[in-house]
This record gives sequence, C-alpha cells and structure tokens, in this order.
Amino acid sequence: MQAGSGIQIQGLSHAIGPRRILQGITLRLDAPRIGIIGRNGSGKSTLARLLAGLVAPSEGRVLIEGVDVCKDRRAAIATVGILFQNPEHQIIFPTVLEEICFGLRQMGRSKLEARDAAQATLARFGKSHWIDATTEALSQGQKHLLCMMAVTAMQPRWLILDEPFAGLDIPTRMQLTRHLESSGANILHISHDPRDLAGYGHVCWLDQGQIRAEDGPDLLAEFEAAMIREGAGDDLADLAG
Amino acid sequence: MISLTSPVRTRAHGWPAGAKLLALACATTALFLLQPLWAQAMVLALTLVLYALPGRHFLGHGLRQIRVIWPFVALLLVWHAFAGNWPEGIRTALRMVAALALANLVTMTTSLGDMTDLLHRLLAPLRRIGLPVGVIESAIPLVIRFTPVLIGKGRMLLEAWRARSPRRANWHIVLPMALLALDDADHLAEALRARGGLNPLTEE
Amino acid sequence: MERNVAQIALFAALIAALGLVPKITLAFGVPITAQGMGIMLAGAMLGAKRGFLSVMLFLLLVAIGLPLLAGGRGGLAVFAGPTAGFLVGFPIAAFVTGWFVEHARLRHVGLRAFIGAVLGGVVVLYAFGIVGMSLSLGKSISECTMLMAIFIPGDLLKAAITGMLVAAIAKARPRALGWTANA
Repeated sequence: MQAGSGIQIQGLSHAIGPRRILQGITLRLDAPRIGIIGRNGSGKSTLARLLAGLVAPSEGRVLIEGVDVCKDRRAAIATVGILFQNPEHQIIFPTVLEEICFGLRQMGRSKLEARDAAQATLARFGKSHWIDATTEALSQGQKHLLCMMAVTAMQPRWLILDEPFAGLDIPTRMQLTRHLESSGANILHISHDPRDLAGYGHVCWLDQGQIRAEDGPDLLAEFEAAMIREGAGDDLADLAG
Repeated sequence: MISLTSPVRTRAHGWPAGAKLLALACATTALFLLQPLWAQAMVLALTLVLYALPGRHFLGHGLRQIRVIWPFVALLLVWHAFAGNWPEGIRTALRMVAALALANLVTMTTSLGDMTDLLHRLLAPLRRIGLPVGVIESAIPLVIRFTPVLIGKGRMLLEAWRARSPRRANWHIVLPMALLALDDADHLAEALRARGGLNPLTEE
Repeated sequence: MERNVAQIALFAALIAALGLVPKITLAFGVPITAQGMGIMLAGAMLGAKRGFLSVMLFLLLVAIGLPLLAGGRGGLAVFAGPTAGFLVGFPIAAFVTGWFVEHARLRHVGLRAFIGAVLGGVVVLYAFGIVGMSLSLGKSISECTMLMAIFIPGDLLKAAITGMLVAAIAKARPRALGWTANA
C-alpha cells in the first residue's frame, strides 16, 4: 500500500459535550469494498460524518487518498461522497436538476457544464425524464436514488454509506445496490445488518466507540452470534451517560 | 409548491417582469396623485377590463385573490358615512382596490422564475455595497424545498396528537415544529457541507 | 456559514408552515395566528441579524408570488393592501426581538424572550402596522390605533407563549440558541 492511498484513520477520538462517542481509532483501509458493522449507538453515524469530513474530530485526523477531509474541503468533495440514512436529510433543493447541479457547481463547474453533467448522470441511470420533477413528489426509494445520482455525478473516489438501505424493501434495496456497484467508486459501507456487508473484502466491528475486531474471515458470523446473545439480555434499560 | 401565477396564459406572461413592476409603481403613484372621483373610478374600471380580457376563468380567479379587501372597503364606507364625508370614503376605497388589484395582476401574469431573476437584478446594487444578499438568494430554493417538508411533518404531529388526545392540539404544535426546524437546519447544514458548502454560490 | 444559511432558510419555512396551522381561538374569543408567533420565534431563537434575514426571506418569497401568508395569501397585492405596514414591520419586529434577547441582562431565558417579543412583535410591529393602515385608509394614527387595539391582548398572549416556547426549546436543544451561552 502506498503512503497516502486508501483511507487512513489516525488516533481518531470524538466527543459531543461530555459524551465520548469514539475513542482512539486507528485504521488503514484500502479495498474496493469496506464494511463497518456495529450496533445502534456504537458511534457508526459519527464515524461516517468524520470520514466524510463533515465534523471536526476532537482528536486525530482522517486522510482519504492523502486528503485531510475535514481541513481541505475543496479537495474532499472530489474525493469522498456520503449517502445518509435518511434521504430527507440529504436533499437540499426543490427540483431534481437543481439537486444534481449543486455539487457540480461547488466543484467549480459553470452553470452549463453542471447542467450537461447532470443530464449525463440522469441518462446513465436511465432517469432522463426526472430532470424537472420536484423532489418532494418522489417516493422514498426514488429519493434514495436521487441522492445517489447527486453524489455520483461528482465522481468521488470513495463513497461513504451510512446505512442507506435501512427500512427499504428488498426490490428497492437490490436496485440501489446494482446502481452502486456500477458507480465505479470504492465503497465504505456502515451498517448494523450483516446481510448488507456479505462478500465485502474488509470488515471492521465497531463497539462502544472502539474497533473490537478487524477483518477475520468469520467476523460477520461472529458479530451476528454476539448480537443474538446480547438480544437475549436487557441493555435497553441502560441510559447514555 | 404552487405559486399564485395564473395557469391561464395571457399575453402579459411574456412581458418583461421589470417593465411590469415599473408600470405598477407608476400606476400606484398616479393613483395617489389623481384627485377627482371620476378619475379614480376610471382607473378601477380599466383594471377590471384588464382582468376580464383573458376570460371568465382568469377574472374569477383574480377576484378571489383580492377578496380580503372587501371588509376594509365596507369599514371605510360606513366610517365616512357616519362622519358625513362620503365622497372621501369612496375615493379612498376606489384607490385601495385599484392598487391592490393592479399589484395582484402583476403576480398573476409573472412566473416564479421570472420573479426570481428580477429579484436577482434588483438586489445587485445591495450586493455591491456589501450586504449579505447572497445568503438570502441562495436560501430561496431551500425554503421552497423545506416548507412542504415542515408542513408534512406538522400534519404527522397533529395526527400523532389526535391518536392519543380527544382535544385539539392548537399552539402546542408550535414547540415540536420549531424543534423539527432546528434539527432539519442541522441536517441541511451537513448536507450542504458534504457537497462543498455555499461559498462559490454566494461569491457570484 | 452553512448552519447560518440553513437556520435562516428553515425558520422562513417554519413561518410559512405555521401559516397552515388553523387559527387558534382563545377562551375569550380573540383569534391569534400561529404565523405571528413564528416571527417572534425567529427573532428570539436566531437573534437580531439572522432573525431579520429569515423573516426578510419569507417576505421575499411572498412577494414573488408564493401563497405563504396565513390563509394562502401572497403576491405583490398584499404589499398594496391596508395591512402592508404589518408586513413591512415583520423583519424589524424580529430584529428588535432578537436584539433584546441578545443584549438584555436577564437570567430567565423565557422572560427575556417574552419582553423581547412584546417590544418587537407588539410595540414595533403595531407602530409600523398602524402607520401603514393610516396611509392606506386615509385615517388618522389615533383612529387606526383604536381600530387595532382589540388585537393587542391576543398578541401579548402570543408573546407570552413565545417566551414559554423559547424556555422549553432552550431546555430541549441547549446548543440551538447561540445567545443563551452568556445567560
């Protein structure tokens, strides 16, 4: 592995107020498909935001392809894109065209170039007829697809997925996965569901803000067994400190 | 979101928005300068002709738009009748209705896109003296996107309230809606940052 | 930067959405609109500058033809009617409310928001509204003040509710109010 390639997480810690969410994470990740698995509240979403450079870490840093994603935002948006769990939290604009053009304009493209690139993206996904649709009128699955188009139009080298498939039906999930596979970007997928990460080259287990295990061939099965054990107990009673 | 532009296409839809706005400003000023009662009545009659020209559908839609003015007209007439100065009451009422109807005519014949472009040009001088109009302009599509979102969530809150209470929610709904707006603002800020923030847009 | 723009936009959207909340009729029969509470909230929550911009943004959208005022009204006509003075006063009301909450040396957050809302959303707003009405109807200031006086108790109550809401929001989202840090 070259220095500066892939994702390098160096001594990453994060606290929100008095609550420590992530503690001392150091990882080198370089595979086309990377999975991070963990329970609700293990710090998955915070990690996703730090990886996309949306939040400044309390300690440590994240380098993706050598870019400090939090400090150098201009380079970061060309390097890493993120898909949130809820597309409502991601869609910014009232029409499909504006939504796709926005990121392209931020990368310095002219209005016309952005429009052309947006049309090309819509055509690649076979959705050219969506161009003037209002985002509010789209179904949940369609909103997910729009988010995916808006992010992939910017052609980032990495895509961070923050459980984007939670709550979707099987056909929608399959179609979205197919579109993702053909996007050409490396994928880092964060999920609580081992089924999402089946076949991934590299898997990390995030537990209470720390990496509990990495890679091992049976990691997903091990995680699932642990989840079933924990499910038999009653840790819903514990309040976050 | 549906704007108040009339779906009935008129010839005025094609005219430049700036010219229409300028004409409106001139007409409104003239209304204040014109003193004779018959002149005021003429302007109102002319305005009504303009409403009637595109057809009955346009006229009906237009009159519905300005119906909020009638209580004020009634108030003026009654008030002046008591004071014994009814010509003054009629003059003020005529002027008020004509000014309102003409302004509404511009709204009905100008698309949202044309209005936004005009706004951009009108704000340009303010931009040059360094006021944060870029913030306002880049926020316009965001409001158009999030107004229906908040309305939808508000409806869901009302349903959740009704599911567990026999009483109406009334102002109690404002608190959760304000919290929703604050949370949505955080999500929106994050989504903006994820795709490069707002800077290049505001520099324009 | 992004958070400022996002909050300005979302509060403009909130004011618009509150226009759809059915009119609230108080026990003694005075109706109040939730939209006016949105103006007070924008000032009290966002502070003077951002509150002003947020309400300004709302008015611009109304002016370019979106039916966002309570009752589905909008367009240029509302700025030509007898209540136009109130609309012009909206952003100033939010500014004054925000200025007060930012500068007042009062420990109680809700009380600060209440007094701010009374100054901005009642005193300043009615000053603009009454002058506008006097110009439009050709009546004297004192006559118009008498005409509008019946609405003042409702708006005072609205300011009181705003104070309670701001206190509740400060508890629910302590980081949401920039100005409570120095309370």
